[in-house]
Amino acid sequence: MIENNILDVQNEKEVVVKVRGLCKSFDSLQVLKGIDIDVYKGDVVAIIGPSGCGKSTFLRCLNCLEDPTSGNIFFEGEDLADMKVDINVHRQKMGMVFQNFNLFNNLTVLENITLAPVLIAKKNIAKTKRKNFFIKIGNLFRKNKKPLIKIEQTLKEVKENAKQKALDLLAKIGLEEKANVYPSTLSGGQKQRIAIVRAFAMDPKVMLFDEPTSALDPEMVGEVLDLMKELAEGGMTMLVVTHEMGFAKEVANRVIFIDDGVIKEENNPKEFFGNPQDERLKDFLAKVLI
Amino acid sequence: MINWAEEWSSFYKQFVTLGGYKRLFDGLIATVEIAVFGLAIGIIIGILIAIVAVMPRYKLLPKILDKICKVYVAIFRGTPMVVQLLVGHYLLLPLLGVNVSGVFEAVIIFGLNSGAYVSEIMRSGIQSVDAGQLEAGRALGLSFWSAMGKIVIPQSIKNILPTLGNEFISLIKETSVVSFIAITDLTKALKLIGDATYHYFMPYIMLALIYLVIVLLITWGIKVMERRLARSDRK
Repeated sequence: MIENNILDVQNEKEVVVKVRGLCKSFDSLQVLKGIDIDVYKGDVVAIIGPSGCGKSTFLRCLNCLEDPTSGNIFFEGEDLADMKVDINVHRQKMGMVFQNFNLFNNLTVLENITLAPVLIAKKNIAKTKRKNFFIKIGNLFRKNKKPLIKIEQTLKEVKENAKQKALDLLAKIGLEEKANVYPSTLSGGQKQRIAIVRAFAMDPKVMLFDEPTSALDPEMVGEVLDLMKELAEGGMTMLVVTHEMGFAKEVANRVIFIDDGVIKEENNPKEFFGNPQDERLKDFLAKVLI
Repeated sequence: MINWAEEWSSFYKQFVTLGGYKRLFDGLIATVEIAVFGLAIGIIIGILIAIVAVMPRYKLLPKILDKICKVYVAIFRGTPMVVQLLVGHYLLLPLLGVNVSGVFEAVIIFGLNSGAYVSEIMRSGIQSVDAGQLEAGRALGLSFWSAMGKIVIPQSIKNILPTLGNEFISLIKETSVVSFIAITDLTKALKLIGDATYHYFMPYIMLALIYLVIVLLITWGIKVMERRLARSDRK
């Protein structure tokens, strides 16, 4: 049994995601060659590296959009790399923001944000009702009647709450008047901010950002980074694959350099950029920083 | 040279006086019946095959189903419609020992045939939706089927419907071969009218015009549909 204690004794901080020996191969090509990392609550981890180094694959393995070839990913007390784990439940608590926004084109902005919370609540209510039905049948033959499972919120309440929450969040990012438009009418920066809100509306424990500003016009990068900074200041645990060195320096508390499928260097931003050790990283930084 | 007056008078006699128009209507109904019900069956089969084609392939069952579907599509796309009708009529029906009406038989065979094409239309329609849409849904914790049903399939319909209209057009035209298995469709009905007098000119002109009008009507319907779908796109 691999150790899986949620509390890291040394740091007294809660580990949100714990990765051990994560490997991923595409056919004969080995992209990740054993990644270990503990992400603590409130961490903002910037992940940088040359293109093709596996940083996006690493992020996509965390919520099993790519199934890991081997290794363990501990999250909410379960190993996500285990195929028997119901990944859908854990993905709800692991928000993801994509490079290409991936807003649902057939839904309005508001529906984009409320779709998942409402559908999942609907499913859970149906499940509870099904369980209650069997309890009721069982109770016919039982002396000690088993209590029914209480349904906390009716579907109508869930819908109302999700809508209200979505509107509040949209108001916070100044896009409340866009609630009922379709994504095709929005700018890239607006789309990405809404995608962030969509992920945030699920109350995730950790948010994964896969190059969130790479597909944006230069003048829209700022608004998205500002929103991410706000999230970080609010205490959200974040893993950010990025090419924005400024963001890594300013907002992240840890910076990771991935090259050739392994973590080559990890440090706080000051040391990482000021005093890099790894030769490959020195080379990389010399090229990206002016 | 064609004697117009004679062509016309003999056609008029056959068509109106001797009640040939009734035959034509029966043929028209058979043609439309075969095409419409054939397409309906084709759509049902197409949906089933497309679902199998896009299912995630972790387990054994989808893999086996996929193989079966591939063989089915290969057979029905790899042989001519007429051959399928002949094989169905002269080989399969006697082998199975069933006795069904000609139109019913044609509906089944046209359905099976168009199922192979419709499945490809649907598969490509679903796969033309950006993979990021499904990924984004899955990343939010939706199940494969919820994400498909709420996000991917609604978007794919815009791609599927117009192509489905084209499939309907080719199906309507292909029904003209059902006379090979002794069904009186539109083509056969007008051929019979011509056969009665050996004056084929008017019947075949009329035949061509009727097919043309039907196809133009469907084309117009598809256009209207496309415009509607495009409008809902940019509200």
